[in-house]
Amino acid sequence: MKQGALEKCIQISEDPYSYLSNLKNESKKKIISCFAMHIPEEIIHAAGMLPVIAWRSNESVTLGHSHVAPYNCGLTRSFVDDIVLGKLEFIDGIVVHRMCLQAQGMPFILDQNAKLPYLEYLSMPALYDSIPIKDFLLEEIKRFQTGIEKYAETQITDEKLNKSIEIYNKNKVFLNEIYEMRRQNPGIIKAREMLCVVHASMIMPKEEHTKLLGEIIAELKKKEIDPAVKNAHKVIISGSMCQTPNLELLDMIEELNMVVVDDDLFIGSRYIANPVEIGDTPLKAIAERYLKRTPPCPTKGDIKFDWTDYLIEMLERNKAKGIINLLIKYCPPHMCYYPDIKNKLAERKISEIMIEVEHEVISMAQAKTRLQSFVEIIGGV
Amino acid sequence: MQKYKLNRLQTTKLIGPIVDKHWADLRAAKENGELVAWCSGPMFAFPYAMKMKCHFMAGYAAYAAGRGAGQRLLEIAEDEGDLLDACSYHKAHMGMAAAVKKNIPVKEEVILPLPDLMITGRLCPEMSHYAEGLYRRMNINVIGIDSPPPAKESDIPAMEKFCEHQIRESLIPTLEGICGKKFDYDNLSRILSVLKETALLRNECWEYFKCTPSPWTLWDYGVSIAPVFYLMGSPEAVPYYKKLKAELKKRSEQKIGAIEPEKHRIYWDGWLPWGFLGQFSRKMTNLGMVPLVGRYPWEFFPHPETIDTEGDPVVAFAKQVYSNGGLARQNMPSMSLPQIHKWIEEYKLDGVIMFSSKSCRMWNLGHNDFIKAIERKNGIPGVVIDGDMVDARLNSEAQIETRLEALSEMMTARQK
Repeated sequence: MKQGALEKCIQISEDPYSYLSNLKNESKKKIISCFAMHIPEEIIHAAGMLPVIAWRSNESVTLGHSHVAPYNCGLTRSFVDDIVLGKLEFIDGIVVHRMCLQAQGMPFILDQNAKLPYLEYLSMPALYDSIPIKDFLLEEIKRFQTGIEKYAETQITDEKLNKSIEIYNKNKVFLNEIYEMRRQNPGIIKAREMLCVVHASMIMPKEEHTKLLGEIIAELKKKEIDPAVKNAHKVIISGSMCQTPNLELLDMIEELNMVVVDDDLFIGSRYIANPVEIGDTPLKAIAERYLKRTPPCPTKGDIKFDWTDYLIEMLERNKAKGIINLLIKYCPPHMCYYPDIKNKLAERKISEIMIEVEHEVISMAQAKTRLQSFVEIIGGV
Repeated sequence: MQKYKLNRLQTTKLIGPIVDKHWADLRAAKENGELVAWCSGPMFAFPYAMKMKCHFMAGYAAYAAGRGAGQRLLEIAEDEGDLLDACSYHKAHMGMAAAVKKNIPVKEEVILPLPDLMITGRLCPEMSHYAEGLYRRMNINVIGIDSPPPAKESDIPAMEKFCEHQIRESLIPTLEGICGKKFDYDNLSRILSVLKETALLRNECWEYFKCTPSPWTLWDYGVSIAPVFYLMGSPEAVPYYKKLKAELKKRSEQKIGAIEPEKHRIYWDGWLPWGFLGQFSRKMTNLGMVPLVGRYPWEFFPHPETIDTEGDPVVAFAKQVYSNGGLARQNMPSMSLPQIHKWIEEYKLDGVIMFSSKSCRMWNLGHNDFIKAIERKNGIPGVVIDGDMVDARLNSEAQIETRLEALSEMMTARQK
């Protein structure tokens, strides 16, 4: 039986190792791992290489703990674990963006243990209100492009870069269409499936992924929604900054008479926001995308834009009843922001629950009890 | 069993009143009609130049922890919703700000006036998170100066230019607006001149770490740090370091060690454990261990001879953060490892301790790989000690003792 497009996305999301290993063997294309948010993948693509976003493995960290202390986030520990275990041998290079302290320290560990032909550290600045920020950002992106050109032994012309931007933008348009279908028809695609579709986009060549999206959209248009879902309580999922949330947790939410109608996850609507404008100055356009303040991102040092207001607007637009915050243990940007989200939502009498998630250990029984309580609150039982 | 003795310096007893006066002046600033800035990162020289009173993030957290108020501030922050795993420096400030806002009882000497301006340096992203939190919770006026650490030497020119431009185009106009007067470049030059003289003396003191036995420890250096950092330009700075140098000279001539007999000479990485210096000192003294150099204590203007006091002080300051300095570069493991290898030889060190703060990820990434690289190149052992610079709940007495003993045994075995 022919594998459906959605099933293929799920399979790739669940096992990116086999997919990329096979792809590498077949295409001989260089693969560059991006750790993790805000990296201008289009530049890597324009150089004829495949950018893939770093992911958290499905296995517990073992050897990695000889390099990263357990009180660091799951993505950092898992990625280093994969590197030192030799599970990422299909990767030719890594680019790390200084999105948090863990990313700041990681290039040293990678350099000591991976000895990759390409290792870049990108310092895109905080979104403070000043001209030097914009100038430095553009210089940093240019420096990144020059390094990529040197490694790939090719020149990235504006034409090539615009072509890559177009391919990436089209992928975002299709993904956004699925998001909009879910907003209009809650339950048409499960939270787990939605996440896997976006995650597959982070791993596959965008051209192939976009083809799959076309098939998925066609299938969803024909899909009948389970009547039980129509009575479920609409919720928003937030957080889980750059790491895959626990998929069983997403299933649990939707099995407890809730339906995820929207999210601000990185492996979600955050990744597909803000297409790059195509024009005469594509690098500048890429910089402009980074400077956008929505979706608000706590790694960007944006002092004045309020993440909670963004969530409230999302909640109201979707007529959702509550917000589930997935907070990755040891994620400083989210940890430091979270108290203000919680307090402001409480002031506005908006139901919210925070579930702290960890790479290896998550008490599903405890999470279930808390989510059951939450659904009773939002359901008015 | 060998007994070891800790010989305390006399000069370091003078630092307490200097530091206390700084914080007391800051507490009284509003009553005296003075403007107040808070700083996370090294930009306090600029509000000082405008004669504002200024706080410094790590200095305050160290002060509060040293006064035994750190834990209380953390509890207040957690009552307000902050999480256990968040940066202790961040939480200490959130706790203090909440105490001020809500009149929550806390030791009077750790209460500060809320600032007219918060300047975040963003050497580490959490410095920014803390300023962002203060803006959201208190509506405090915040300005950010991003100071990304370089991963390699070739990153430095662009980052230094970036730092300088932000100061010139963003920080100085903001200070001028708040203070209602032109920026005082002459005063900034004066502050840098005092800093240069102080830090040159400090470096002469640092050289005494090379003596065997060493007449002072890194803890002595730590408690002396304020005059070369957040008390930059203060009139007490130069006399303090002159006295300190004289005492170290005398001790070295008389071969008096800080710990007698000196058994193990130690490199210390990461934060100094501000709230627990005495606790660590006792445990290390019991094993004859003397903590000497470290990359964090060395980051404060390590090359004062390069401070240009005649030229543009903004350029001079940016150079101290980047090309001639340690503030930005010591935070990146790739930039600091070569220096550590060199120190181990120069200071005849026997072992390394990587102090890994559980709530701060600035130093802990790479600690195990540091130990491996040092073992390979310098042939000395090392251990990681997990703990925290403020939060007592994250320090385990038993674990600290076990690892110190393990290190001592490894060093002893190699010294035989």
